[in-house]
Amino acid sequence: MTAIDVDDLAMLATGFEAAMRDAPDPASTTAALVDLGWIELLAASPAQAVATAFGALGTTGSVAGLVDDVVAHALDIAPDAGTAVALPPPARSAPPGTRDGGRIVVDGMASARLHHAATVLVPVAAVDGVEVLAVDADRVRTEASPALDTDQALVRLRATVDIADATPVDIQGAWPAAVASGRVALAHQLVGASRTMLDQARQHAVDRVQFGRAVSSFQAVRHKLAESLVAIEGAAAVVDAVGDEVDPLLAALAKSLAGQAARTTSAHAQQVLAGIGFTTDHPFHRWMKRAAVLDVALGSTASLPPEIGAELLRRRSAPRLVEL
Amino acid sequence: MAEIPMDVASFRRDLVAWLDAADLAPSTAGRGTLDDQMAQYFRVKRALWDAGFGRCGWPEHVDGLGGPALLRAVVGEEVAARGLADPGCWSMIEVLAPTVLAFGPESLVQAMVPPLLRGDELWCQGFSEPDAGSDLASLTCKATAVDGGWRVNGQKVWTSYAQFAQRCVLLTRTGDPGSAHRGITALFVDVDSPGLTYRPIETQHGRPEFCEVFFDDVFVPADRLLGDVGQGWQIAMDVLPYERSTTFWHRGAHLLQRCSDLVGAVAEADDVPATAAKSLGEAYQAVLAFRLRSRATQHRLAAGHPLGAETSIDKILIAGAEQRLLDTARDLLPGVIELDDDPQAEAWREDWLYAKAATIYGGTAEIQRNIVARRLLDLGAEA
Repeated sequence: MTAIDVDDLAMLATGFEAAMRDAPDPASTTAALVDLGWIELLAASPAQAVATAFGALGTTGSVAGLVDDVVAHALDIAPDAGTAVALPPPARSAPPGTRDGGRIVVDGMASARLHHAATVLVPVAAVDGVEVLAVDADRVRTEASPALDTDQALVRLRATVDIADATPVDIQGAWPAAVASGRVALAHQLVGASRTMLDQARQHAVDRVQFGRAVSSFQAVRHKLAESLVAIEGAAAVVDAVGDEVDPLLAALAKSLAGQAARTTSAHAQQVLAGIGFTTDHPFHRWMKRAAVLDVALGSTASLPPEIGAELLRRRSAPRLVEL
Repeated sequence: MAEIPMDVASFRRDLVAWLDAADLAPSTAGRGTLDDQMAQYFRVKRALWDAGFGRCGWPEHVDGLGGPALLRAVVGEEVAARGLADPGCWSMIEVLAPTVLAFGPESLVQAMVPPLLRGDELWCQGFSEPDAGSDLASLTCKATAVDGGWRVNGQKVWTSYAQFAQRCVLLTRTGDPGSAHRGITALFVDVDSPGLTYRPIETQHGRPEFCEVFFDDVFVPADRLLGDVGQGWQIAMDVLPYERSTTFWHRGAHLLQRCSDLVGAVAEADDVPATAAKSLGEAYQAVLAFRLRSRATQHRLAAGHPLGAETSIDKILIAGAEQRLLDTARDLLPGVIELDDDPQAEAWREDWLYAKAATIYGGTAEIQRNIVARRLLDLGAEA
């Protein structure tokens, strides 16, 4: 793995952000990122690729099904913009597919790539781990109804597929590694989304005048914003410590803490934005809703701590995970 | 003695091998009295100095062996992880020595720093006063210029380990009473100076490590001036980043060890609350978030970046992690903290009680949030 030069990375980040702001729909955003070298960067330097792309997805609030590429790469399947990967059900880490006689029952989630993919890869629980089956996207795609996040960055995926319509795919990587890599990506996105929510609330607090002064001058408001920044930086420190080789426990911590930071920031930003933040005249609601949807994907702030604690009890210790 | 490698990974490997072979475990069944704890501190400090590891990361003009300051963080971490010395006591050096190195006259530095690093002496910090806590710049302990030096009159409080210390880094008022941060001067004072007395404070956690210190016409020679007259506030501000980098790193290592202890105790308990895994996971993630934030701070310090207001985030994270961890211990070991009297229970009780201070000392939780709001979020002045 070769690290990308800092200046090149900054330029790439700028390019990613521009593509995310300018592209009209998720398919075009993904295509623009692929043109900019997203797939090559993911192969050469996964930690930097994921930090750059998902950080920008979070801050800009754009929609692109990049998590599919991250999970595919971790399974050692060549990422392809026409291929979506089915994700576990909300707040779970189990594979979305199960065999039921001659059929595959799919109960999981999918990214926005589902809308334009030709193929969907379905991880299916198997006796000795997980197998991956490729199915025609039209066989699992349904007309998704607008849910919390009307941009549908992530959607529910429920389908039943005849086994005869599914093609086994060779995988080298293990499912826990794929889940871990996906968690790190979404953690970066949650941190980015939290930063935008905090920026929105900060700007409002500085601009909004009541009782003859900016509401940012009130300690009750200041401390809410300060606590949001502390939660974000604590999560960011963990997310940023993940390297090219993803440690599953560190990835679980990163996702859980990033989800917690997003919850803390959503709540405080909503309160500080007050009336205007409750309307769709202000863009805050988009990031708040996106963060909530990202939280339930691949294990949530509610579901991950018990998983982490159980792992500690199994090891009978609390590991350092990252040395100085 | 083989040469000690100065890169972090090799240094840690050799240090761990040496610690595993050395017999430095406390001789007391539990933590023992404060006197026991201090004797253990001096013993471990001296042994590490003699082995060379304790000299690494300190400059050669104070008898150090050079190398990056990160090596001191490694030593503190491994000492804390093995429970060899109280992390608060171990870290006092990290709070004060870098600042004295930066601001003290060279003759004073060369005379005073080596005995501190060797574990022959201890220093204490005379900053807070009864009427100057969060508002440190209002301190009133007065130093008056006299022939050959200064006369000091006044009182300090929350001075850790004054009863075990030989020297004190003291903030005094040398300007007008209303001169605030501009009229503060730092002095380096011998604790056995005539007129200096102290009284240990009985605290809720049962370990009288803090003192009140009284100055009654204490003479301090002119060559004990740190920096310039009126530079005391800058010196106090210089101390803070060290306190919030290496000292916190050591404390974080202690907290991670206690988290590990708790996991072990819960794993072996017969009757564990159903929510144990969730509580442990939440406590651990708070400790790890601090640890990795502190790690990044260590690396910024090592790269020569100045540390400032952003270390308030480290402070808020460690205080929150400490309280969450010890509250979790209380919940998952029912009755141990409240009712039991074996050495392990005493240690849990002491740590749980001490954690209450985590949001008070070194700048309260409220002051830290004010700093974050003003300096990091740029929210302007408070109403």
